[in-house]
Amino acid sequence: MVATRRVLITGVSRFWGGNLARRLEADPTVERIVAVDTKSPTVNLERTDFVPADIRHSLIGKLLHALDIDTVVHAGLIVDPRRAGARTVHETNVIGTMNLIAACSAADSPVRKLVVKSSTAVYGSEPDDPSLWSETMVRKAPARDGFTRDLDEVEAYVHDFRLRKPEAVVTLLRFANVLGSRRDTPFARLFGLSVVPTVLGFDPRLQFLHEDDAVRVLEQATLDDRPGTFNVAGDGVVLLSQAVAIFGKVNAPLIPFIAPGLAMAALNRVATVGLPPHLTRLLQFGRVVDTTALRDRFGAMEHSTLDTVREHAKQRWVRAVVEDRAYPNEAELEEFLRSRRVASNGHEKEQPVGRGRRVARATPRRRSKAQP
Amino acid sequence: MTAVTSSNGTGGTASRILERRRSALKKLRAELPMAAMSATGTAAMRLREMTGRDVIDLESLQDLVSLAYRISEVRTEHRGGQHKVDEFGFDRTWTEALVPIFRVLYRRYWRVDVSGISVVPSHGPAMLVSNHSGVLPLDGAMIEVAVHDEVDRIPRALVASWFGGLPVLSWLLRRTGQTTGTPDDSLRLLRRGELVLVFPEGVRGTGKPFSERYRLRRFGRGGFVEVALRARAPIIPISVVGSEEIYPMIADLQPLAKMIGMPYFPVTPTFPWLGPLGLIPLPSKWRIRFHPMVRTDEYPADAADDPSLVMRISDEVRDTIQEGLVAELAERKSVFRG
Repeated sequence: MVATRRVLITGVSRFWGGNLARRLEADPTVERIVAVDTKSPTVNLERTDFVPADIRHSLIGKLLHALDIDTVVHAGLIVDPRRAGARTVHETNVIGTMNLIAACSAADSPVRKLVVKSSTAVYGSEPDDPSLWSETMVRKAPARDGFTRDLDEVEAYVHDFRLRKPEAVVTLLRFANVLGSRRDTPFARLFGLSVVPTVLGFDPRLQFLHEDDAVRVLEQATLDDRPGTFNVAGDGVVLLSQAVAIFGKVNAPLIPFIAPGLAMAALNRVATVGLPPHLTRLLQFGRVVDTTALRDRFGAMEHSTLDTVREHAKQRWVRAVVEDRAYPNEAELEEFLRSRRVASNGHEKEQPVGRGRRVARATPRRRSKAQP
Repeated sequence: MTAVTSSNGTGGTASRILERRRSALKKLRAELPMAAMSATGTAAMRLREMTGRDVIDLESLQDLVSLAYRISEVRTEHRGGQHKVDEFGFDRTWTEALVPIFRVLYRRYWRVDVSGISVVPSHGPAMLVSNHSGVLPLDGAMIEVAVHDEVDRIPRALVASWFGGLPVLSWLLRRTGQTTGTPDDSLRLLRRGELVLVFPEGVRGTGKPFSERYRLRRFGRGGFVEVALRARAPIIPISVVGSEEIYPMIADLQPLAKMIGMPYFPVTPTFPWLGPLGLIPLPSKWRIRFHPMVRTDEYPADAADDPSLVMRISDEVRDTIQEGLVAELAERKSVFRG
């Protein structure tokens, strides 16, 4: 058992890292949480130390050493290319992972546990795929898009780390597409359209994962030892047509089955669905993963695939009526209150910058580019 | 007309009459199907008394009515997406709503005679292994109707994996319980206690010329036996007679088939000459014989890794099916009248 005391989390400005940090803050056994990202976190963090740094930079190794980090959670993989340019996505996913894992596998590195967020997209989506993918199965077809190619590389680095540090606990989590109220995902955008474009003559089987389950699995892998590779998805499947019906939208088979990518690119111009190529193929051929290993080691997911879709649909209905806008300056207000609380306790008064504290000593060289 | 609508009192009467008429219509719509059914029933009985034979086929009529009813039922259920499909994409209620269509073919068109079906277990896994023929895989559909009507289970047929790339078929086959013929898929299904229907000949069987009818092709590499041994599921060999004659394939246009990405392009006496009419299968008389099951649970756990044992069982199953075909053919006096 590797005791998780000092955790470093990447990708904290987005859903995954941010919510994991928040969950870990509630655990008193975790001494220190260090969050690394180029942008500030979007969730309110109490005791997480935020280091505005780029994981592509070699100072990550020094940081691991200086803070004596025992657990690294790499949650910074970008699946939705709309969050950044294609070049940034590739740089963050591949070069970032390479650099981070290189830092972790250095001979004197204090890291004993590595948790990496990957995606079920690594299995690809082909017409002659097996009905269910187990973790040990490997895609036959070559990677059809940049993202899948990047995923192959990310997983290869993780594999290298396993070989280089056999004593370390390595958990590779392949997440299915996530739906939930807090997240804007390509599928959430697709189901948000009043007319949902589908591929003519195809009705794929899809799997979704509820955002709460996603964070719970990530937390469990961080706090406990769960070595291995796991598919993470809600139980069961949903047909695309069924999901569209649950959302009460119109199923429009607008995409021809020949050259669907071209049609999707054209649709992107009109409807700004933002479905990247690897998801366009998913709309045609679907993908289902076997979650037996996940159930055995992490327990049952709270939400099945169907429940996840239903709940997301319900929340959309509510949001259509009651706009989900928090009190506009809530984050700043909380920050203010927190700084006041610290001050009135007689401790040193902190500068309320961003959301979450910043450690200056951990960043010997703060580059201007890393500033949010 | 103007006089009626001008005064309030008479307008009320008019609306009351309309209301009454509407409720009467509603009542009529609710009761009409039942009334029609009983009237047809009486008419059928009278006609039988008068002519001494069945003029109106009540059974088929009932099938048609139940089909219409089930389809409307399934449609309401599916409108809100509240149905459930399994991980392979199988929708049982949807499939069962379609069974009556195939049952008409089964009972009236090909007049299928079934024997030995009691060997199919009512629960637990089993692998049904059959010969494959007839250009289009309608033999699978007929076996499924037989098993559905007798033991109330729907066997999960394994099909060639290229179906996944075809529009409509890609979801239709999955929705009706079919899945790709990979060892992984079939092992999963057997471990869930399903009935798995395998055609080890594959397209080699359906695409063979008419002159080679009822001669079994190679049974793959015995992969189905390996899976059955691993899952410790019994094998039930099945001989189907009659499917060879539905589309007598006199030639195979391979170059054309290659061009459109199909395994073969059949030429029959009617296809492609008559266009879509050529797709109508011939009304041959069918016989389906279920053979006693071959048990696999008495072999050791690692028996699946023994190629000689696998090939022996595979040949044994193949011989059983071939002998069954010969025996059934011997009993059949005419291709179409049986």
